[in-house]
Amino acid sequence: MGASTIIFYLLAAITLGSALLSVSTRNIFRAAIYLLFTLIGIAGIYFWMAYDFIAAVQIIVYAGGISVLIIFSIFLTQQAGELLPVQHTRRKLFSFLAAVIAFILIIMQLIDYAFVPVGQGSEGPTVMEIGQAMMGLGVGGYALAFEVISILLLAAMVACIVIAIRQKPDPLPAEETDTITIESGNTWN
Amino acid sequence: MFSLSGITTALHDWLSGRFSEAWVMLIEMLLAGIAVISFFAILGLVLVLMERKVSAWMQIRLGPNRVGPKGMLQSFADTLKLLVKEGMTPNGADKLLFNMAPVMAMVIAMLLMAPIAFAKDFQLWDINIGVLYISAVSSLSVISILMAGWASNNKYSLLGAMRSGAQIVSYELSAGLAILTIVVLSGSLNMNDIVMAQENGWWIFKGHIPVIIAFVIFIIAVTAETNRAPFDLAEAESELTAGFHTEYSGMKFALFFLAEYVNVFIVCAIGATLFLGGWMPFHIGNWDGFNRVMDFIPSSIWFLGKTFLLIFLIMWFRWSFPRLRIDQLLNLEWKYLLPISMVNILLVAAIAILGWHF
Amino acid sequence: MFLARYIKSIFQAVRSLWIGMRRTGYYFSHHKEIITQQYPDNRETLQLPERFKGEVVMPHNEQNEHRCTGCTACELACPNGTIKVITKFDITPEGKKKKAIDKLVYHLELCTMCNLCVVACPSDAIVMAQTFEHSVFDRNQLTKILNNPGSKIMEGVE
Repeated sequence: MGASTIIFYLLAAITLGSALLSVSTRNIFRAAIYLLFTLIGIAGIYFWMAYDFIAAVQIIVYAGGISVLIIFSIFLTQQAGELLPVQHTRRKLFSFLAAVIAFILIIMQLIDYAFVPVGQGSEGPTVMEIGQAMMGLGVGGYALAFEVISILLLAAMVACIVIAIRQKPDPLPAEETDTITIESGNTWN
Repeated sequence: MFSLSGITTALHDWLSGRFSEAWVMLIEMLLAGIAVISFFAILGLVLVLMERKVSAWMQIRLGPNRVGPKGMLQSFADTLKLLVKEGMTPNGADKLLFNMAPVMAMVIAMLLMAPIAFAKDFQLWDINIGVLYISAVSSLSVISILMAGWASNNKYSLLGAMRSGAQIVSYELSAGLAILTIVVLSGSLNMNDIVMAQENGWWIFKGHIPVIIAFVIFIIAVTAETNRAPFDLAEAESELTAGFHTEYSGMKFALFFLAEYVNVFIVCAIGATLFLGGWMPFHIGNWDGFNRVMDFIPSSIWFLGKTFLLIFLIMWFRWSFPRLRIDQLLNLEWKYLLPISMVNILLVAAIAILGWHF
Repeated sequence: MFLARYIKSIFQAVRSLWIGMRRTGYYFSHHKEIITQQYPDNRETLQLPERFKGEVVMPHNEQNEHRCTGCTACELACPNGTIKVITKFDITPEGKKKKAIDKLVYHLELCTMCNLCVVACPSDAIVMAQTFEHSVFDRNQLTKILNNPGSKIMEGVE
């Protein structure tokens, strides 16, 4: 067993162990932190496979972005410091069944898939190749998808601004009841 | 001529002659780890002393001058004090996360050290996506602060952590865009390629005004990302006692303190690499005689000199400017830095495509 | 014009930051401006600021004469009862009784160096001295009598 294999099993143990802890802990903040470790473990496996770009993106998007978002929403939720209630046995059973079935499905797919063996020490695609594939117009290019997603994001951002913008109160002297509705934060009409 | 890469090559040859390949790799990894940790320790001692002296002189004071010649052993005395202090864990704290947070801050700072080129051919990990790696890993540093703030079971700590989170997440954007300007100009994410692209002049001179604007934005954004004054809302002594590390003492506090200074060093090293040419000596176009003279100064001296210049700049900010309020902080980022850097990156892309840089 | 105001505000901000940095940079590079006194080391050459106030004293001239008339204005002015004027009646050569001080008791441990007594004194009999090494082992030593024994009021001070 080479050093590379040992590193792989270490990373896999970290990923699976913290994933298990993440679903079994009753402290929601700890669950978020364990989830973070799981995501970092996956990034580690990408690094181990020499897919540096995917690993870095994994860390930026999932570990740095999504986890911080989750932690922030935990902070802003009331009673976040208390332990989560113990779940019913029936619920536990059904979620366990769901997980097992999903696992079996994945395993079946993996067994059926014809893996192409790659040579030892092969490098992952370089950033330039990824970039050209992403913005390429030819076969295997994702230029259209890329642009559509950026327009979707732009629309989402504009929508956020529209929701968050503070409407100036109606300058016309309205009836008393109307003024109250304006003051109580009716911001979108 | 003195060079660090000569030492490492000689060491590698010496080890290769005696051990098998796997052992050589293991020993070298161990040596690199020891080197990084001792470098951290020295860095902490030097930077703390430097900060105290700089702050004293800027405030018309003398600064530490009792321990050792001219107070130079002051930070050793402080370290000794922190080592023998009791590291307490408050009641009601989440013990696991509380003790994990400072270690995590240190580990992230160590990870950031990997792709930095300290001298010519002297780098821990010549990774293809160096700059992306650094911005990825530095986005994790907020996690340790959030962990510390939450686990302390203290209102001040939680408030500090929240502020720090909002601050780091928003300033990462303009720091990233400022880094991107240089990536656009150099056409590579690799630290060594970026340094080599500045062989005939540093980017801050070659790239006209847009690069200077990017440099200013980068410095402002990284000052905010490392939670230093005037952006030290996360620790704000006068409002939150000490923010996220209120409850920490002894060595755990020292780890946070060290991580802050190491982060300052790392962001300054990145700034020096991107804008001031890293270990590349000061070269002007094709003045061969001048360039030859500059090459006589070792590349490690160039790198450390530029980095410490930027560190001094950040310290200068800290001791000149008053702290921003949270609304001013977010205004500065979202209304000024981000729009400016977006326009700026367009300009830089135009410059790069049209080849207007030198 | 929005854009013009925007750019102007940026320039103003940069300018004001630069002014601040120039000031601290000046102090950083000019060490002769440092005002810290290394006290126990330079005890002989210590230079105290002009307005430093250490304790209340009553100056006497060579004939052991002071200017205090015993009017108790200082006692009344003192916000925390630091000064206690004990008066007596002198017999002048003309056989008249005249009010004068017996003792002017000053409690240094109560004094906040507020300077109100010095301002209140109509005949400038007391001033603030610049001494500051006040620590003693016995608290009673902090209660001081400001007029020298056997001193009397200066000629012509009413």
